[in-house]
Amino acid sequence: MSLKQFFSGFKKGMKNFGQNIALIVNSALLSIVYFIGVGFTSIISKIVRKHFLDTKLSKKATYWHDLNLKKKPIEEYYRQF
Amino acid sequence: MSTYILGISCYYHDSSAALLKDGTIVAAAEEERFTRKKHDTSFPINAVSFCLESQGITIKDVDYIGFYEKPFLKLERVLSQHLEMFPYSLKTFLGSTPSWINEKLRVPRIIRKKLCYNKDILFIEHHLAHAASAYLLSPFKKSAILTVDGVGEWTTTAYGIGKGNDIHLIKEIMFPTSLGLIYSTITAYLGFSVNNSEYKVMGLSPYGNMNRKTNIYYQKLKKVVDVKEDGSYRFDMSYFIYHYADRMPSKKLCRLLGGPVRKPGEELTQRHKDIAAALQMVLEDVMTKILNHVHKVTKQDNIVLAGGVALNSVYNGKILRNTKFKKIWIQPDAGDGGTSMGVASYIYHTLLGKKREFVLKDAYLGPSYSTKHIKSFLDKNEIKYSEFKTREELLKTTAKLIYENNVIGWFQGGMEIGPRALGARSILSNACNPEMKEILNLKVKHREKFRPFAPVVCEDDALKYFDCDNPIPEATDFMLMVYPIKKQWRTKIPSVTHVDGSGRLQTIRRGQNPLYYDLIKEFGRLSGIPIIINTSFNIRGEPIVCTPYDTYKCMMGTGIDYLVMDNFLIKRDHNSRDIWDSEKYATD
Repeated sequence: MSLKQFFSGFKKGMKNFGQNIALIVNSALLSIVYFIGVGFTSIISKIVRKHFLDTKLSKKATYWHDLNLKKKPIEEYYRQF
Repeated sequence: MSTYILGISCYYHDSSAALLKDGTIVAAAEEERFTRKKHDTSFPINAVSFCLESQGITIKDVDYIGFYEKPFLKLERVLSQHLEMFPYSLKTFLGSTPSWINEKLRVPRIIRKKLCYNKDILFIEHHLAHAASAYLLSPFKKSAILTVDGVGEWTTTAYGIGKGNDIHLIKEIMFPTSLGLIYSTITAYLGFSVNNSEYKVMGLSPYGNMNRKTNIYYQKLKKVVDVKEDGSYRFDMSYFIYHYADRMPSKKLCRLLGGPVRKPGEELTQRHKDIAAALQMVLEDVMTKILNHVHKVTKQDNIVLAGGVALNSVYNGKILRNTKFKKIWIQPDAGDGGTSMGVASYIYHTLLGKKREFVLKDAYLGPSYSTKHIKSFLDKNEIKYSEFKTREELLKTTAKLIYENNVIGWFQGGMEIGPRALGARSILSNACNPEMKEILNLKVKHREKFRPFAPVVCEDDALKYFDCDNPIPEATDFMLMVYPIKKQWRTKIPSVTHVDGSGRLQTIRRGQNPLYYDLIKEFGRLSGIPIIINTSFNIRGEPIVCTPYDTYKCMMGTGIDYLVMDNFLIKRDHNSRDIWDSEKYATD
């Protein structure tokens, strides 16, 4: 095995190692965010009976929601929301 | 000085870019064609480069960049899913959050950095981009608009009206209820890939029981969807898990449909076919109700459609017969890939108020290569070829080769935008040969046996062979309408006749592609029937070919007999076989 091959393999191995570490750290941090941030908010919402998705079947005559999406001043389109 | 607007869609599926010059779409392409990753989601840097280079401009010449959705509104919906479904959504939260942090919430920064761009970036709602792609590129000055897809920000279905330069979307159905997502759920249930193989389920449906009274799965699926008289609908979400998991059907849906999710490669039984049929019928029922309601509200004779569901060509072919609309138009890339054209058009016509003069009449908006470039490629790679001396020779030789049951690769002009090959990157063969479906599958396509091949016919001949709407809608030019083949011709063109006697035809008008049109006419003079099989130039699992290199490589690894590339004829047997193993790469 040449030196070049060795370093190439070493570099590849280190990259994979780094990616795996990043995945573990990311998953750990995101799990904390999920259980504390999302979980806490979700529990509070459930207590006050707030729903974020409209999933209930109903006897109303329609499921259409008003959208009323039409041309707005151009400044509105610079926003991402 | 010209106004250039660049439209971009990315980070969901089918990334694309489109360039609009003074109101005309001058270039558009999906990123997958360059990266060779089917439905590529990445930033469309190659597609953007192509768009700019095709016009000989740089990013400094672009006046606006439009993005096809509002990322923060989409994030709101995603967070709502997690909040509603906690703690079941942990896995999807961990899976999707990094891409939100790294990409989706940094769209302006990424655009500016990757393209070295420092002017305005505008964001429009996803369904507005769909609506604009359908209406503003259509020939109509006034029309009803219906967009139906999986999901945008919150909207999954929307309708409204287009008048002059303006679009008004009036009502919507919101996530998690979605016609697109129920189709994807059953696609997943039947063992096919989501956001890719929905058209296979559509192709499978005629093998099932299409009788609403006797198909038990139709009755069962109707329990899942509550449809009101005005076409609005909502799902019983206990049958689905896509709003919090990385799978789609719930255990309850599996129980309802009488078995577990089919594994890819498992035998397709009659039950699977009946489920596909039931799904198609449910979709058609809901769509018909929606369209009748839209007609009632908008009082328009014209309808334009966009969104992934608008690619359901089986239903599209029934719209004018089942509803009160008199004219229909669908753009060739009705799914997310086409939203880049939509956002660019919306900025130019609606926001800047510039007059509408452009109508999208053909789909040849992708890269094209000069005769000199192709000759240089062939010579450099020592590929053996012959050159046609005249256009007549090209037409006569190619038509004869097709008539003699050879499989022909056809590479001419600008690549098509959208999922269908329409005569620029196509594989052509003899529709009159009853064995041709098997030959094509054996030599090239390796597709599931149930899937039909599509016919192409000149527009002026179509009504003789097909029971089309009359006049034939322009959407048929984009292979977006399935019509019955007239009974007397079904046995004459067996390779393109589906099990229910229908065909997903492409009509071609001479002005769109004179060479392709003349080839079909020439074939008609030999065979007596001017209809050819047109299938996309790729193998299963690969995007359609783009460059001469992709094309030659695809041909040499498959059983395509001849390649007609621009003015050159290449016979596969005259060249050494490539190492490309089409069987190995043939995936879902």
